[in-house]
Amino acid sequence: MSVPFTLRSGGPGSWALRLAAGAVLVYLMFWIPTQASNGVIDTCITALTLMAAAMALNLLLGYTGQISIGHSAFFGIGAYTTGILVSKYGWSPFQTLAVAFVVAFVVGALVSLPALRIKGVYLALVTLSLGLVFPQLIKAPKMEWLTGGARGLDKTGFKFTKKNPTYEIFGWNPWGNLRGENVKPFLYWIAMIIVIIVYVVCRGVVKSRAGRSLIAIRDNETAAAVMGVNLAVTKGLAFGLSAALCSLPGCLSAIRTGNVTPDSTNLTVLGAITFLIVMVVGGAGSLWGPIIGSALYVFVTDRTGDWSDKEAIPAVLRPFFGWSHTPPGSGIFAVVLIALMFVAPFGIVGMWHRVIGRFVKVVPRPAGTGTIDAPATAPAEA
Amino acid sequence: MSLLRAHGLTAGYGPVTVLNGIDLEVNEGEIVVILGANGAGKTTTMRAVSGTIPRSGAVEFDGHDISRTSPDAIVRHGVAQVPQGRGTFPELSVEDNLRAGAITRRDGAGAVAADLQRWFEQFPRLAERRSQRAGSLSGGEQQMLAIARALMSRPKLLLCDEPSLGLAPLITKELFEVIERLNREEGLSVLLVEQNANLAMHMASRVYLLETGRIVASGSAAELSADDTIRKAYLGF
Repeated sequence: MSVPFTLRSGGPGSWALRLAAGAVLVYLMFWIPTQASNGVIDTCITALTLMAAAMALNLLLGYTGQISIGHSAFFGIGAYTTGILVSKYGWSPFQTLAVAFVVAFVVGALVSLPALRIKGVYLALVTLSLGLVFPQLIKAPKMEWLTGGARGLDKTGFKFTKKNPTYEIFGWNPWGNLRGENVKPFLYWIAMIIVIIVYVVCRGVVKSRAGRSLIAIRDNETAAAVMGVNLAVTKGLAFGLSAALCSLPGCLSAIRTGNVTPDSTNLTVLGAITFLIVMVVGGAGSLWGPIIGSALYVFVTDRTGDWSDKEAIPAVLRPFFGWSHTPPGSGIFAVVLIALMFVAPFGIVGMWHRVIGRFVKVVPRPAGTGTIDAPATAPAEA
Repeated sequence: MSLLRAHGLTAGYGPVTVLNGIDLEVNEGEIVVILGANGAGKTTTMRAVSGTIPRSGAVEFDGHDISRTSPDAIVRHGVAQVPQGRGTFPELSVEDNLRAGAITRRDGAGAVAADLQRWFEQFPRLAERRSQRAGSLSGGEQQMLAIARALMSRPKLLLCDEPSLGLAPLITKELFEVIERLNREEGLSVLLVEQNANLAMHMASRVYLLETGRIVASGSAAELSADDTIRKAYLGF
């Protein structure tokens, strides 16, 4: 089959496309906090939170092939580390991010210990139990002095005063402030920075020697071992890093709402499953998969949020969803998930590559260029 | 000089002992072939040497005791294994598969890149498929890739676990020529496990015959094929 266009990887055409995509992203990044309504910004923060968590999980599941249905616990560790330090000890929310990162890393690395022996369904069960135990642990009477029990903690966010600074650039302020009247953009930027940090870390890991070790473990554990990948250390680091990154959006959730409760969705197993589903729908084992999956999920649930009221459903769709007394967002997404398993087993990103492949042929860098600059040795004659 | 020396090597899986105290030696520059039927313990021997299964007995490599060493440290000592079957990483590109072979090396990106270039020249078909997924390669190409990847760790000893598995006779022949060439030109020592006795014995310096976890005969290829009982009972020709 002939392909109408060709694109040389690393050539001017591919750079132009990258620049254009980057420009659109940056424009959107600034358009949302400056032009959009507070409601839209809020939805975007929800999406960004999910993106960071799904990307963190992707590092473990998509790249290392180690399943976890308990990442909500790491999200919760982030939320509670921030919550406890801010509300009980008066820390600044920013400082708590580093503590949460370290705590979640240690717990994640400990969870990796069973993963050295068990695989697949059994590992899923172990991590599932972690996800189930976490909220119970938080609610345990003996922990109440620290965690606030079932009531949770409040005053876990920023303190707003008129004295807080604003960050204007020539009278233009896309950043928001902490004076109480323009807070949403400020929270949006924290979320954005967390997503960028998680993305940059994931990208750095995946494209490096370490990333090859992770994928090697996923693709063929025995071969990885005989290639000299230290399975115990590599899995431990993958679990730790994934957990640590997943705690950051948890911190964000505490900062954003100003309170932490053990029953909010992202801290329960339902949250862990959501991370898993959006990652798979977007495309596991790809850097942009979790981002696209999360955006789609939040878009669908937001759009259908008021569909429990019949009148809110567009007339065309009313016969399909009119019977529902609860918002059908999750249901719609479940159908999308099942459909995707048939048409795009590698998620939306995989489908995108397939569709684009029909129109554009991507030519890889020719052999002997790129990183290889050492003098070529003479080929030995057979 | 002996490069690998195993004495009383015993290994198995859980409660099952597969290997009952075998003695094995590979000298520098040799191609040593282990022959045996299914279930004789050939693959187990490989795994016991590379440290990927629990084992007991003495294993010495290049003057180091490696009987309690972890698999990655054994790779760093200079033992590379080509695992049985399609031992590649299907989702990584051919180039990244090769780079994965250099995971234990700490001598810098330049040296790794130079080796990459070198093996691409030795295996031109891999160079052509450099950025393809390894999973999209043919069986023979994947086996070539697995060997080239093992060589990326700059081993002194290459463990080849039944490279002919599932390959056409012509491809197998080509593959064995590659292994022989590496042995001749690079001085690479090879420990090779095979069922295809006929083919493997041609290039073997020495042969071990393995049956139900014990070595039942050893010697040069000529010696073993000269012995009528051994030839009929184990080699089948």
